[in-house]
Amino acid sequence: MFRQMRNNTVVNSLGSKMRKKWSNGLILCLLSVGIQQFGGAAIIQAKAQLAPILIEVAWMETLQLHGQVVKPWPWADTWPVGRLQVPELDVDLFILEGDSGNALAFGPGRALPSAQLGGSGTAVVGGHRDTHFAFLKELRKGHRLQVQVPSGERREYQVDEVRVVDSSRELLSVDTEDNVLVLVTCYPFDALQAGGSLRYVVKALPGERDLMSKLSSAGVWEL
Amino acid sequence: MAYKSYLWHYRAQAASPPGSAPLRLVVRCIPAVIVGSLWLLLLSVAPARAAVTEPLETEQHEDIGPNGVGSGHLLMREDASGRYIPAVIHSSKVHFDINGMIAIVQVEQTFRNDTDRYLEGVYVFPLPGSAAVRALEMELGDRRIIGVIKERAQAKKIYQAAKMAGKKASLVEQQRPNLFTNRVANIGPGEEVTVRLEYVQAVSYEADVFSLRFPMTITPRYMPGSPPEVAVQSPEQQGEELEIQEPASPVETLSVNNALGWATPTDRVPDADEISPFLYPAMGSDHAPLNPIEITAEVDMGMPLARIESLYHDIALSRSAGVYSFDLVNGVSEMDRDFVLKWQPVSGRAPQAALFTEKFGDEYYALLMVVPPTAKRMPASMPRELIFVVDTSGSMGGVSIEQARSSVSRALEQLRPQDYFNIIEFNSSYTALYREPMPANTHFTQKAQEFVRMLSASGGTEMLPALRQALSHSGDEEEARRLRQVIFITDGAVGNETELLEELEANLGDSRLFTVGIGSAPNSWFMRKAAEFGRGTHTHIGDINEVENSMAALFEQLARSAAVDFRIDWSAPVDAWPQRMPDLYQGQVLSAVANFGTAMPNGDVIVSGLVNGQAWTQKLQLTDSTQLENAGTHDGVASVWARRKIAGLMDQKMAGRAETEVRAEVLPLALAHQLLSPYTSFVAVEEVMSRPTGGPIATSPVPNTRPKGQSPQHFAYPATATSGPAKIWFGTFSLFLAMVVRVLSMQEADHVPSDEE
Repeated sequence: MFRQMRNNTVVNSLGSKMRKKWSNGLILCLLSVGIQQFGGAAIIQAKAQLAPILIEVAWMETLQLHGQVVKPWPWADTWPVGRLQVPELDVDLFILEGDSGNALAFGPGRALPSAQLGGSGTAVVGGHRDTHFAFLKELRKGHRLQVQVPSGERREYQVDEVRVVDSSRELLSVDTEDNVLVLVTCYPFDALQAGGSLRYVVKALPGERDLMSKLSSAGVWEL
Repeated sequence: MAYKSYLWHYRAQAASPPGSAPLRLVVRCIPAVIVGSLWLLLLSVAPARAAVTEPLETEQHEDIGPNGVGSGHLLMREDASGRYIPAVIHSSKVHFDINGMIAIVQVEQTFRNDTDRYLEGVYVFPLPGSAAVRALEMELGDRRIIGVIKERAQAKKIYQAAKMAGKKASLVEQQRPNLFTNRVANIGPGEEVTVRLEYVQAVSYEADVFSLRFPMTITPRYMPGSPPEVAVQSPEQQGEELEIQEPASPVETLSVNNALGWATPTDRVPDADEISPFLYPAMGSDHAPLNPIEITAEVDMGMPLARIESLYHDIALSRSAGVYSFDLVNGVSEMDRDFVLKWQPVSGRAPQAALFTEKFGDEYYALLMVVPPTAKRMPASMPRELIFVVDTSGSMGGVSIEQARSSVSRALEQLRPQDYFNIIEFNSSYTALYREPMPANTHFTQKAQEFVRMLSASGGTEMLPALRQALSHSGDEEEARRLRQVIFITDGAVGNETELLEELEANLGDSRLFTVGIGSAPNSWFMRKAAEFGRGTHTHIGDINEVENSMAALFEQLARSAAVDFRIDWSAPVDAWPQRMPDLYQGQVLSAVANFGTAMPNGDVIVSGLVNGQAWTQKLQLTDSTQLENAGTHDGVASVWARRKIAGLMDQKMAGRAETEVRAEVLPLALAHQLLSPYTSFVAVEEVMSRPTGGPIATSPVPNTRPKGQSPQHFAYPATATSGPAKIWFGTFSLFLAMVVRVLSMQEADHVPSDEE
């Protein structure tokens, strides 16, 4: 391939210097774009990895204050509302309030229209597929999830269902009656593009098995 | 993978002898680092598919499918534009006839069946909480069938028999004072059935402004409680299940009770399925209404008006000989918000007292209205304690929570430094801003403003614990001296109104409850009633622009002491309601109804009360009005009296009186005055059969329109991908390109001399 390219290259002495300048400029450009992009990616990862250190401090304080809202840093627009642990996968995450982009950058977030963690109703937690919620692909039916709520109580959930939905066709339908935890992340996990319509949805039910039978299928959520 | 092999080439080339540019040195220092990191990065994005980077996280906005409504029914179908429409299509007309203090309103509901089978339509609809529904008429083509009032269970039986016999029939039941169900049986394929209701209500008059509110849709209500343990069917219910079994959907026609609601009964809201009508999945619009309504009115006040306006609808107004009439500018409107009409007499002509009478049967009835003098502001030294209770449940999502935030924020600005305050927000659980009320100084109010800014709507509406918390206070002596005012800001979208009112009745103590109704379609009856039980006032805010004026008016009321101890001496033994006159705040008027029996007394009505701590009396001459030619002819006064008496009796039930006693009084009253009540229903039955005997009939819910501005109930999935992988890929790609360019230019350099040779 290179051989061909070389052969096709029309060369003359005057043009070669010009071309060299031009190619150096191009290299510089490409290098800086490349570094900028890497930097961007590094910032995303750094935010995702470092924020939990501050969030953990805030969470401890929240527990001490019996569930009062404590912001991890003064200008934060989100705060921890729960701690999610999966012992089998060695996962320990803090769940933040809100699933907007600026909360998800720091940790998985509870969707605001959904129920409170540990309360009655469906709590929906979204997380980035490439940072905090990358572990979802390893979750299997039967895995145990532990959720600590701001009051300090611990709730146990068990993965009941894992499926991929097309979010452009289907809305999250949740009902208010039962205590369900839904974890959502983007699918496929390795897609380059952000903003795709597929979602990977993990539904977990309270640890006690008898609650499962109570689950109504009335997928209408109204308040 | 393609670029791996490129890279391999590059490594081979990079090791070859260099060119001559100065930059080359720099470039040559980096390769080791870059190649290493490139490899790592390539590994990390190995499975990546080539793709163009997209804008970061795009929010998904979906059209809502049909499964939001009545999943399981065969009743929704799709029209050409992809909109889902129910089997029974509904449209309404309403005409207000306002005469003095009384409005007589005709509501016409038309149901059309476009399918090829017989259908029963079930429409759950709201009316004003004080509406005295006194007539029902069913119109089939050019035939009219007059409805009759019957005891509730009996009416249901008549309707059910007609439905089974294939006759057209209509049954209108009261589920809540402001929430009714209309069932229309045996609407044939392609047929239209019109049901006309007439109700009477007294218009409200406050601060020289008359107003009237007509609700059109129902904000989905939260049903607290858990499903009853065992679904035991009463013998009565089983008796009713003699329904024709339809092969297509046997479950749906098991019982006439089948209410087609989205909620299931709970132990605290046993009739949850009756009061939870489905909503259209999509929002409606005035241009293509899902539930269209035509609104017309005639307003004859007998006095010149300074203005007449509709708050949320555009009306085309005309006037002839002192009678104002209007219709909607666009002809029809969507039923997704309350209709509110306000009108004001020219200044100086605002009535200060009025007495309307009617002779109904042999008896005389009167409606009395008196404006008390304005109370003075409370002295600044009077310590106050204001507790704001804000509903942040899911039903408040959208414009409602904005209105609520703005209202509290506005209220905080109006606090005086010597006031104490606290904020309680509630949804599935409640949170108080402070453990105990704090002085309203800059420090605490600023923190409170921050708290209010962060309020967002989600979760359930567990109102009872929040209300208890708001009403409870420590026995602290200093605190006990303060005047406690609880400001309750909510859309009232709950199904357990009775439970809440009972709580208020029992535990109000020294507190006063002021309710602020928020949103396009609030549960106004409940909030008005709560304010009545809480001995405060009720304020409506339907639009963010109303916040400032409404809250200012509310604070005027909060800042002045109420006029108390009102008594009316009717100069004869009468059956008058309300039995205990309420306290009156700034702008409120005194209103009472009475039944004089068979003879109008000849004397004065004396109204007395305590305003600013001083006795105040006003005399009205009964004889004057009776001597007038039109005395005793004001249509609607008797209905208003009966409706208020029923309301008063139902209040006694909430205060603990046995239901059997209350029922024994309400039932004959409602039957005598032909009024819809909790114990009476209207039923109209066609004489002839429409549906061939034995043919199937299915039941169709008639969905309501979503309250305007409410955020969708189902919600979109979050966007959960970062642009990280794309950045890494693009970064890798540009570094790679840089190297390709570098290699190419080096090779050129290599070969230039040789070409020259």
